[in-house]
Amino acid sequence: MRKVIILLTLLLGLSGIAYGKDVINVLTTTEDLKSITEIIGGAKVKVDSLARGYQDPHFVAAKPSFMMKAKNADLFMVIGLELEIGYEELIINGSRNQRIRIGQQGYLDVSEGVNLLEVPTTTKIDRSMGDVHPMGNPHYWLDPENVKMVAYNIAKRLSELSPDNAPYFQENLASFDKKIASKMIEWKEKIAPFKGEKIAVYHRSWPYFADRFGLLVACELEPKPGIPPSPGHLKNVIDIMKRDNVKIILMEVFYDEKPAQFVAAQTGAKVIIVPNSVGGTKEAKDYIGLIDTIVDKLVSGLRSSGKE
Amino acid sequence: MKKTIMFLIIAILFIPLAVTDAKGNEVAQLQQEMTALRSQFSEMKMSYETRITQLETKIEDLQKTYSIRAEKPQIAPPAPPQSTSLGRYFQSFNPDVSVIGDFTYHATDTKNTEFRNQFQMRQTELAFSASVDPYARGDFFFHVEQEDGNWHIGLCEGYMTLLTLPIDGLQAKVGKFKVEFGKANKLHLHNLPWVDYPNMITDYFGEEGMSEPGVSASYLIPNPWNKYIELTGQVVNNRNGVSFAGAEGTSLVYLGHLKCFHDINEASTIELGTSLATGPNDGGLGRFGSDMTTLEGVDLTYKWRPLQQGLYKSVTFQNELLFSQHNRPAFDDGTDIIDAKNINSWAGYSSLEYQFAKRWSVFGRYDFSEFPLTSSSWENAYSTGITFAQSEYCFWRVQFKHTDRNFDKDDNAVWLQCDFGLGPHRKHDY
Repeated sequence: MRKVIILLTLLLGLSGIAYGKDVINVLTTTEDLKSITEIIGGAKVKVDSLARGYQDPHFVAAKPSFMMKAKNADLFMVIGLELEIGYEELIINGSRNQRIRIGQQGYLDVSEGVNLLEVPTTTKIDRSMGDVHPMGNPHYWLDPENVKMVAYNIAKRLSELSPDNAPYFQENLASFDKKIASKMIEWKEKIAPFKGEKIAVYHRSWPYFADRFGLLVACELEPKPGIPPSPGHLKNVIDIMKRDNVKIILMEVFYDEKPAQFVAAQTGAKVIIVPNSVGGTKEAKDYIGLIDTIVDKLVSGLRSSGKE
Repeated sequence: MKKTIMFLIIAILFIPLAVTDAKGNEVAQLQQEMTALRSQFSEMKMSYETRITQLETKIEDLQKTYSIRAEKPQIAPPAPPQSTSLGRYFQSFNPDVSVIGDFTYHATDTKNTEFRNQFQMRQTELAFSASVDPYARGDFFFHVEQEDGNWHIGLCEGYMTLLTLPIDGLQAKVGKFKVEFGKANKLHLHNLPWVDYPNMITDYFGEEGMSEPGVSASYLIPNPWNKYIELTGQVVNNRNGVSFAGAEGTSLVYLGHLKCFHDINEASTIELGTSLATGPNDGGLGRFGSDMTTLEGVDLTYKWRPLQQGLYKSVTFQNELLFSQHNRPAFDDGTDIIDAKNINSWAGYSSLEYQFAKRWSVFGRYDFSEFPLTSSSWENAYSTGITFAQSEYCFWRVQFKHTDRNFDKDDNAVWLQCDFGLGPHRKHDY
């Protein structure tokens, strides 16, 4: 009996230690959010992500194993704007974790305050428009200036969850902001010779990036967001690219390369495959690495196509 | 008088002189003050200019160091289009409403089949889903179907899920729902990977599976490996007419389901489930005594979807087995005494689906099924088909099925199916 009591006491003690831990368990939907949270949260957070950077973030299966990850999370973080509409609710409900329900302190939509593009202004939105997002294009993390706001939102929420560590998070935020500011100068300098250049893209993921760095998206290979390229639409794309002398097709790592290569062969353009999320390729190991990779590959492609 | 006049003249003459002299002093004083003020003003101007320059330098430094804080006022005010969109979004206090149509053409060589060689709007599903309050969500699914020339609407499912129970890992459901027995029974017609339900489901639960009013509780079992292990217990009305008591049933059926899920790697998963259902098969009416039916089930599902090529390639290998023990005592049917009988029968299916392009997948399914009331009759079925997903919300499917029976003629059937949905109802369990 005495041994049982000692064992129980030890177990309770251990559970107490586990409960009183000084680390916030964060679960993010994308690796971009994971990277930014790790920078801001440092040693005070443990972060995991549902989607991998090399998969389409629109289509993530609501696996029961993800529900177990969500069950243990103190904070569930989403890109928002309905990017995660297909799986977010299933995972939260399946996790049975009350802390991360929408409206709770453990749920954070990081899109609050970011500068949004392509917010529909028509009075009616329906599926004839493809996979449109009624609250705006959700690929806003590809604009580093928006990511400053994302980092601010993350730091704010981490500070609320762990007030003792607020100065630490604020310090990391300031350091991240400085890093982004200095990298912005570098990225802009690299792209500056190609400012105003027109590019073609596969999916409507790139308006934020193009807008920030002064590029123009001339056309998309998908006829409508989420609708696969059709021969008829590709013919229009080829005509536009020839007319506007577009020499670059920018696309993500998870789309079928064949339609892009077909268009490239018809127009003499070059297909540039880049990650659109952290972890999309080996080089994109964190957020800075992601934008570095995109900028370097794009600049290299534009240069080799004789656009400089 | 003369002296007075002289004095006045002198006084008049000297007063202006005195005044002029006083004015001269005042002007000089004013000029001095002006000069001093000018000097002070110049000094102040220089001082302020220096301070302004210093402040400007400081602001520039601060902007460089804390650029987010300097830019925040620019980002914070929402652009007008955003508020338009949010205004629309906030109207969504209404439930999500969806309509899904299931249209088929069914060709078969079995002559007594309804809708033989005809088009059919086989089913229209109306779905409503929303949060009830902060503690629960509600889901309703109505089915509109044609039967004997008339259109009927019926409640397929209508339940409330309690999401915030005080015990960690526990959820409960009340209402009418598809019971937790295996995998295929829980699926709605439009969500099947085939045109029809496996024979195991139709032979043991009825045309669209078993859906009854009742209560359900499920619990995520804590385990050292942090694996998804879910135990579900359900109690539902005993109104299923195939394996249980049927429309006259006044008793209850008890069900249990254990689901274990494991990620083999990031692309592959395996799910193992076991099910149990037990209840009187005479509804406790005494016609056959009070005999029981017990069903046991095993389901095994393997899924493969490589993450990077996940839009274009996937495999689902799904298998289920069902074992039935149907106990029936002797009874008098009016002319003869029917002997007591313990009927042990079984059924199962194995299905393989392969997605080979973004919109295309092929599938094959093998069915074997005996029947709850006889193990001497059985049927084998071989199905194959192809699915074209026009979009996430519409697909076309062609399926061929050959059924081989030991008690009746073989059957060959071909279906053309078109399934199309309006509204947001597209979220389904993994």
